[in-house]
Amino acid sequence: MNKTPSKQSWWLRLVEWVDGDREPKDQTLFVMEQRPPRHVQRSDAEFATQDKHRLHRFRRWYPVCAVLICLALMGILMAAVLTMPTFGEADNPINNEVAEHYLEYGLEETGSANVVTAMILSYRGFDTLGESCVLFLAVAAVMMLLLRDEKNTDEHDQQKQEREDGILAAHPDLILRRAAWVLVPFVFLFALYVLLNGEVSPGGGFSGGTILGAGLILYSAAYGPKQMRVLMDARRYAAVRTFGLVLYVLLYGIYIFLGANQMPNYLTGMTLLIDLAVGLVVACTVYGFYVLFSRGEF
Amino acid sequence: MIVLEYILLAGLVVCAVAAPLCKRLLTTVIVYMAFSLLMAVLWSLLQTPDLAITEAAVGAGITSILFFLTLKKIHALKGTRDE
Repeated sequence: MNKTPSKQSWWLRLVEWVDGDREPKDQTLFVMEQRPPRHVQRSDAEFATQDKHRLHRFRRWYPVCAVLICLALMGILMAAVLTMPTFGEADNPINNEVAEHYLEYGLEETGSANVVTAMILSYRGFDTLGESCVLFLAVAAVMMLLLRDEKNTDEHDQQKQEREDGILAAHPDLILRRAAWVLVPFVFLFALYVLLNGEVSPGGGFSGGTILGAGLILYSAAYGPKQMRVLMDARRYAAVRTFGLVLYVLLYGIYIFLGANQMPNYLTGMTLLIDLAVGLVVACTVYGFYVLFSRGEF
Repeated sequence: MIVLEYILLAGLVVCAVAAPLCKRLLTTVIVYMAFSLLMAVLWSLLQTPDLAITEAAVGAGITSILFFLTLKKIHALKGTRDE
């Protein structure tokens, strides 16, 4: 008898094991079924009482643990608040020359009277670019999980969806429809105002984009997916979403290549365009979440 | 104005305590919505209108819609249980 299996080099064995061609030698380490079979079969009543007992114990301890963890968190947060400097003191660390510079030269350097917009879109534009990328990736991740196509949808799901659509089409919600008919134009108008006027008034890309997305959600909820596809289908949605992010990257790239410190004044209108780009990304994110959560397809 | 702020702050505390104590998930979401709305008014009283708009749109609007959709998906809303 030759002893080739045991004499094989450890490397080959490791490779085989990693590839999954061969079980590890000592199976008891990895396989749970080696446990001896239970001799005494528990009766149903015994099983039920044990289960009830366990549930009872869980119910009793769960609130206690929750309250304890909450109290501990509260204590930590309170301790952190106590060590913070007093609110509104003049010599606080946050009152330094950076904030002064933003307030003093914000309008001159970025061309936007709203200092918040000037900060998040010009001075801290890279942060906002990262946030936009996070939103983009969040929609991509939700799409991976919830998007419905012919590969992950069976007949049953299809029929169920069609039935629900049929019910919705046959019995439209009158109140919702009338309210949407009145509200949607104003919502869109307000969204555009907040979006494009973010330079001088409160608002800007994030809030305006969210309102725009909310308007799209309202329209989609009131008039159904078939009407919505006229306005925005899957291809158009992907195009708008990508366009927003690419526009932002290109516009902010101009800042970098021209040198942010010696920005010529004629580029000040760029904040508006960046605002628009951020707004498109945010609106698409919000609307995409709604569509993917509710139906799973555009 | 200070009195209004105190009333709103008390409302915030009430909502924050009530949200986890509600039995029904739907009520929890609605209480959370109320929390966001109070918070939005407070932001605007604190002279941060940017945050107020975002809080009203995201906190009270979008997040609640996503919660409702999730509740519908897991059949936790009344009337969505039967297949």
